[in-house]
Amino acid sequence: MSMNAQSRLQEILSKGEFAVTAECGPPRGATPEVVRKKGELLKGYVDAVNVTDNQTAIVRMSSIAACAHLLQMGLEPVMQMVTRDRNRIALQSDIMGAYSLGIKNILCLSGDHQSFGSQPDALNVFDIDSMNLIRAVQTMRDQGKDMSGFELNGPPRMFIGAAANPFADPFEYRVIRLAKKIDAGADFIQTQCIYNMDRFKEWMKMARDEGLTEKVHILGGVTPLKSAGMAKFMNNKVAGMDVPEPLIKRMAGVPKEKAVEEGINICLETIAQLRNIEGVHGVHIMAIEWEEIVGQIVESAGLAPRP
Amino acid sequence: MIVAEQKPLSEIKEIIAPYKKILILGCGTCVKTCFAGGEDEVAVLASALRLACKKDGKEIKIEELTIERQCEDEFIRESAPAVSRSEGVLSLACGAGVQALARRFAKTPVLPGVNTTFIGVLESQGIFTEECSGCGNCRLDIFGGICPVTRCAKKLLNGPCGGSQNGKCEINPDTDCAWQLIIDRLKALGQMDNLRKYIPPKNWCTSLSGGPRKLVREDHII
Amino acid sequence: MDKKFIPKITVFHCINAFSQTSWSSVGGNKFEIKFIKLPCSSMVKDVFLLRAFEAGADGVVVLVCPEGQCRYVEGNIRAKKRVAWVQNLLDDIGIDGRRLSLSNIASGDTAAATQIIDDAVKNMAELGPNPAA
Repeated sequence: MSMNAQSRLQEILSKGEFAVTAECGPPRGATPEVVRKKGELLKGYVDAVNVTDNQTAIVRMSSIAACAHLLQMGLEPVMQMVTRDRNRIALQSDIMGAYSLGIKNILCLSGDHQSFGSQPDALNVFDIDSMNLIRAVQTMRDQGKDMSGFELNGPPRMFIGAAANPFADPFEYRVIRLAKKIDAGADFIQTQCIYNMDRFKEWMKMARDEGLTEKVHILGGVTPLKSAGMAKFMNNKVAGMDVPEPLIKRMAGVPKEKAVEEGINICLETIAQLRNIEGVHGVHIMAIEWEEIVGQIVESAGLAPRP
Repeated sequence: MIVAEQKPLSEIKEIIAPYKKILILGCGTCVKTCFAGGEDEVAVLASALRLACKKDGKEIKIEELTIERQCEDEFIRESAPAVSRSEGVLSLACGAGVQALARRFAKTPVLPGVNTTFIGVLESQGIFTEECSGCGNCRLDIFGGICPVTRCAKKLLNGPCGGSQNGKCEINPDTDCAWQLIIDRLKALGQMDNLRKYIPPKNWCTSLSGGPRKLVREDHII
Repeated sequence: MDKKFIPKITVFHCINAFSQTSWSSVGGNKFEIKFIKLPCSSMVKDVFLLRAFEAGADGVVVLVCPEGQCRYVEGNIRAKKRVAWVQNLLDDIGIDGRRLSLSNIASGDTAAATQIIDDAVKNMAELGPNPAA
C-alpha cells in the first residue's frame, strides 16, 4: 500500500479503523439535486461514497460529475471507472481531470457488458481491462508518468481500488486474481455483496494464506435484502451472485410486512461477522436506490459516528 | 473459414426490387461450407425469389451461377458474360467478395445477399463458432490456444471478470466463458503460471482499429 | 367460385415407405397427383420441393419411413428437418408453409397413404390454389 495517496479513506484504513463505504448511483438525467439528496442521506455515516459509472451499462450522469457534486457537499467520493466505454486515452484524461477536481479515490472495473444496458446497440471499447487500468493509475501516481511514459504535469495521487468477487467462478482462481490485482497496484478491494458467509470465509482464508491481507485492505460488500423475491432474483438473474437457499427460505419464512426488517437483520449479522474476520478492514454497503437505509444500518451496527 | 448467414428473404426482396433481371452469383468456398451462398443455396434462393415475385405479380428474370471464389480475379472473370446480361448482381459471397465484384464490374450494381459475420470453425455439424477477430498480433501461445480477444466478450487479457459463472459468460448462458476455458486448458497443460503474469495493454495498431490493412508480399510480385 | 379448384398434389416418396404400383386411387375430377420416387427420403432436397411449387403444385406431400426404421438410419430425420426448413421459407415467400407436409408411413400401408392424400386435398381446399403458380 502506497503512502503517495492522500485520501481520507486511505487514512482511516491505514489507522486500522473499520471503514464504512456506501454507494451512490447518479441519475438518468442532468439533475444534480438527485445526487445531493443521496449525499445528504449518507453524510456522517460513511467514510467515502462510491459513485457508479453507467452501472449495468445504463446511461446515467457521469461518475466524475456526480463525484464533483458530492465533493462540493463535503463528502469523499470513490470514482468508479469502467473500461467498457472509454479507451486508454479517455481514461487517463478523466483520471487527471478527476484528481484536479479533488477526487482522490478510484475503483477500477471492467464493467457490465453493454448488452445488459439501455443502449445495447452501442459499440463497446474494452481497449484495456481493469488490471491494466489499476496498473496505469499506479504508474501515474507513483512514477508520475502516463501509459506512454510521458512525465505528467501533476501526477494524480489516487487511492486505488479494485473489485473482487469471491462468488464467481472459477473459485480456485479467484485468489490468484486477487494477488494479480494487488501486484498491479490495488490498495483496497471491495467485494461483491456477501450472502454466502461460508464461501466468503473460505476465500478470506485463501487470501490470508497467500499473505494478501498484509498487502491490501479488503472491504466486504453487503446489500440488505428487501424480500424473498429479491433474494431469488439476485441468485438466479444476477451474474456472480450467490444467495444460499437457507437465506432465501429465511426471507420467505417471515410475513411480507416483516421482510424488510428481516433483510436488515441479516445484513447486520453479516456486518458483525465481517468485523471478526481477520483481514477484513471495512464494509461496503450497497443499498441500491435505498440510500436512506444506510444510516440506520451503520447506527444499528454500532459503526456511528464515523471517526 | 469466413462465416456468413443469408439475409432474410424480405430484406433480399427489398434489395433487388429495382431490378427486373438479376444474376445470383454464389461462391464455392467459405459461404458454401456454412450453407449461406454455395451452388445449392443459389438454386434455393432463385426458386424462392421466383415464387415470391410470381405471387407478388412482379416480373423477374433470374440467372444462377456459382464460381469457385469471389475474392480472386481469375474466377471473377468467368462470371463476366453472365454479369453483362444482368441489371444487377446479387452476390452471396462474403463482404470481401461483394467488393471484389464491385471493383471489377464498375457499371453493374453489386448487391449483398448475405451478412458476413465472423472468422470461425465448424464446431460440429451445423454449428459454427467465432474464433478469431484478426487482431494482427497473435498470442495464443500464452492463452493455451484460446483467444480472449475474440471469445471473451470484454476482450480481457487478465480475466476472468466477476460475471463468469458455471463456466458461462454473463452475456449468454450458452456462451462459454473464454477465461474458464483458458484456465482449464492451462491447468491441463501444467501452465497455470501463465495466469499469474500480468498481461499489459494490447497494441491495437495491428488490428482494424489502426485502419484497413494490407499485406504486400514483394517476394510474390513480379 | 366459377371454376372448380382441382388441387395439384406432388408426392415425394421413399420407395421403401410407399410404392406407386399399390396406389389404386385416381384423382379424377377431385385432384391431380404426381409421384416422384426416391431411394431414400433424405434425397429430397430443398430445391426440389420449391421447384415442385414453381411447376404449379398447390400442395406437396413427403412420405417417409417411420422413425427408427429408415433403411439408411437417419434419412427420414434429415427429410423431416429439410421439410421444416422449407415450410418456414414458404411462409417467408408468402405462399403458406402448410402446403407442404411430411408423413411417416409403414411400407405397404395403402390405407394410411389414402388418408394422407385425402387430408392433403382437404387442406388445399382450405388454402386455395398456389398464388405463385
